[in-house]
Amino acid sequence: MRAGYDMRHVTLKLMRNDLPRASLVLAELETFVPDDRPLLEAELPEVPGKTFRKRVRRAWGYLDRLTGLLGEQPPADPSRSFPTPHRDRLVETDDWLASSWQHCAPCDEALHNIEEAYRELGQLEQSLEDFRGLEIDLGRLQGEHQHLDMRIGTIPADNLDRLREILTLSGHLILNVAGEDETRRILVAGEKHRSDVLDSVLRAAAFQPLAIPESFDSNPQALRDELRQRRTALDEEREIVLRKIADWKSENSTRLAEARQLLEAAEPYASLHGAARTRGALGVLQGWLPESQIDHARQRLDDSLELPFLLESRRPRRDERHLVPVQVQGRGLLKPFAILVQQYGVPRFGEFDPTLLFAVTFACMFGMMFGDIGHGGVILLAGLILRKRLQSFTYLFVLAGLSSMLFGWLYGSIFGVEHWIHPLWIAPMSDPLYMLSVALAWGVGFLTLGSGIAIRNRLLSGDQGGALFGPGGLFALILYLALLGGMINMAQGRGFPLVSTVAVLLTLTLIAVYHWRESEAPLGERIVTVFIETYEIVIGYLASSLSFLRLAAFSLNHVALSLAVFTLADGMGWFGHWITLILGNIFIIVLEGLIVTIQTLRLEYYEGFSRYFYGDGTPYRPLRVGRSMTR
Amino acid sequence: MSRLAEQAYLRTRLAIMRENLIEADRLAELAAMPYDELATESGFDEFDGSGSPGQRLAAFERAQLQSWLDELSALLRPLEGSGRRLLTQWASRYELLNIKALVRGKIGQLPNDEIERSLYLLPGFLNLNIEELLNTDNVRDLLRQLQNTRYRRIATQALRRYEENPDPFLLDATLDQQFYGELIDRAGQLDSGDRNEILDLIGRIVDRHNLVWSLRYRFNYFLQPSEVLYLAIDGGRVLNRTRLQRVVNEESLAEACAQLPAHLLPDDADTSSITQLDVALKHDIERYAMRVLRVSPSVLTSALAYLVLRHGDIMSLYAIVHARVHGLADEVLLASLDQLHGVHG
Repeated sequence: MRAGYDMRHVTLKLMRNDLPRASLVLAELETFVPDDRPLLEAELPEVPGKTFRKRVRRAWGYLDRLTGLLGEQPPADPSRSFPTPHRDRLVETDDWLASSWQHCAPCDEALHNIEEAYRELGQLEQSLEDFRGLEIDLGRLQGEHQHLDMRIGTIPADNLDRLREILTLSGHLILNVAGEDETRRILVAGEKHRSDVLDSVLRAAAFQPLAIPESFDSNPQALRDELRQRRTALDEEREIVLRKIADWKSENSTRLAEARQLLEAAEPYASLHGAARTRGALGVLQGWLPESQIDHARQRLDDSLELPFLLESRRPRRDERHLVPVQVQGRGLLKPFAILVQQYGVPRFGEFDPTLLFAVTFACMFGMMFGDIGHGGVILLAGLILRKRLQSFTYLFVLAGLSSMLFGWLYGSIFGVEHWIHPLWIAPMSDPLYMLSVALAWGVGFLTLGSGIAIRNRLLSGDQGGALFGPGGLFALILYLALLGGMINMAQGRGFPLVSTVAVLLTLTLIAVYHWRESEAPLGERIVTVFIETYEIVIGYLASSLSFLRLAAFSLNHVALSLAVFTLADGMGWFGHWITLILGNIFIIVLEGLIVTIQTLRLEYYEGFSRYFYGDGTPYRPLRVGRSMTR
Repeated sequence: MSRLAEQAYLRTRLAIMRENLIEADRLAELAAMPYDELATESGFDEFDGSGSPGQRLAAFERAQLQSWLDELSALLRPLEGSGRRLLTQWASRYELLNIKALVRGKIGQLPNDEIERSLYLLPGFLNLNIEELLNTDNVRDLLRQLQNTRYRRIATQALRRYEENPDPFLLDATLDQQFYGELIDRAGQLDSGDRNEILDLIGRIVDRHNLVWSLRYRFNYFLQPSEVLYLAIDGGRVLNRTRLQRVVNEESLAEACAQLPAHLLPDDADTSSITQLDVALKHDIERYAMRVLRVSPSVLTSALAYLVLRHGDIMSLYAIVHARVHGLADEVLLASLDQLHGVHG
């Protein structure tokens, strides 16, 4: 339950040349988290790998572009171990990738140009169709005119409005616009003597003129033949380029796969930054490793490194606890809850990991608010049916569904019908006040447990003042329980007991004195601050307790909604009755289920986590082999 | 966070952050300081061990920018929806500056290391992958990579134009158009309480940008008036397209300035050169931003005004340190300071 408590700070002392290999070995473990603080800067002033990192990034750039041109490579043979990313090997691979790209770049360029030519040809064919429809004599458009300046071409659709406005201001006209995608075909007309103006605006608008074939006006068949010939020529050109690419790929696919594997193996060292330091031939690699993994890591390093090394470990120091990477407990059933915990924050080192408690209380509160065997069963089934899409959140559906079914059994409710089975505990509507009392009692228990955890977490963090006197601290908890006990006694007609009175006065005084001593504000502001902070502690607990009444309110709401559906259904014929029942139940499951989930999360986050969970720990991101580290 | 809480948070934050702004007198004091004292006062001495003067200056500039981005992140914290999107868009101007630097670097065939030194380190919410763009072979390759980003439209247009002439200024102008276009779109989505106030501030910035760049295009690059108008940004406060057309249709700077609307510039503005005009407009916006920061009913506008002012301060401080590190003469420093202090649109 103590987050990250088995984490140790490790220092691997080794020879500089072994650093890339050692990084790879540790990355393969997937448990080592680099620590790039300059702890050993005085003894080992150099941070190695800068050139190495640049080479890796450059090589990835070339490989990406080659992959873009050649298509995805088949995955590397998983049985093959990663090669040691020696610098010389990396340089050789990078140079090979660079020269390969230089070799293939003309093909890439040619393909782009061919695509562009296809696009232009398509636009031209479209334009000719447009003008044929307009019955414009393009033969006259193409020729030289004494006064008229006409242009046919394309512009990006986004530029059309602006171009139209500017051309209007400069005395030109857009006569025709066609096309529906990102490009528009336009016909622009203006005065011949202002052609320089038109040139400049069209240039700014990324206008591309279309070359109208000579044969357009004279002979339609010749035109069709000419366009077909152009397309065929482009097809042939593309075929040649693609064949060249395919030939090169088949000759070099093994080498490309090796290059990728080497780069993946080089990634861990390239992403170490300050976690590796060197001086001359000596090197050090520092980071965090779970204690249970240290012997395994030592063994793996022993098997892999050629030169001697020393792996030292120690417990995290008090001053570096906030830096210890913490893995939230989240495998199997707990995984979705771990994700939800991490939405709020990462536990500090040694802090109580709330995942398990969160899962249990989430299930209980959801079930209490949404207790129904039928509806719970649907949630359970929906989770199982959609398991591929929901992935780990399937467990959340299963748990919520099971809890709902359990409470449905306790409440005796199946699809809102309360007379099919006898409730094992109580039907909520039969005694709403009792339900509210139970919800309040749950809230008191939840808040007390939360305060207990908060006190422990603060003590572990060295915040004794906060643990004793802060909101959610020991004295605030005693004050809360004393007030609560006194009020219960009063409600039962036995007055406010002396013990409670003394406890309330004593804790209030202690808390106020503490805040007084902590405040450095001027007298007036100090009085106000102390009063408000003390008042907030009291009122905060009471308000939070009342907040749990929603557990009962929603269990009653569930029954009320079901009753409403039955009432509506009963007022209809046979068909309408069943349609209303089905739609009503779907409505209840989706809408109420969603609301109850949100309310549960709200109680967890606001009444729970905000009370005891710091959530500002360092996330656990172990070194891994592969691309993700530097991207 | 409710709107009331959001306003209270931002007002408090801005009241605290306002202390970070450097007054003109203080800037003058810093500019007059000897190097050692300036290094201590500006925090430049923290980078003493960071290598060559150029590397130290780059590290200092990045640290300054980082503090600007941290402040932006703090202001973003309570904001949601359109307000958040607007301030985030304002930060994306650094993305723009990086793209401009990359294109110029690739056109000039500079080594990647040199280009990289001129780039800003961007925060996570700006997701342009600079590394991929940097590793491209040439401008064409860079533009193709850029087609995979939100700058696709611009990159496609630039690629089409590249065949004829790789014009960096055309690309710059198109990038600025997209940036301000998106900014104004986002401002248009704000509540009416924020919208008019913020459009007023942005409109002044756009006016300055349009006027200064239109005059440069017209009288320094000798572009046709229509092309200049095409490259202008929509959304100015005073200088709409018709007024701008009157300005750029003139044949000289003096005649162009005579066509400017009376209330665009302060009465005492020096219009003898584009640089002086720029300085006058910058100072005018600075004064306006300061007033907005203090009294605007729209806290979002105050936040934007603060970011504008703070950025101006950072640039000025950097200019002073830069000048001192390179041993520039006092008059050069003061002239560049005059140009830099204020708004950088």
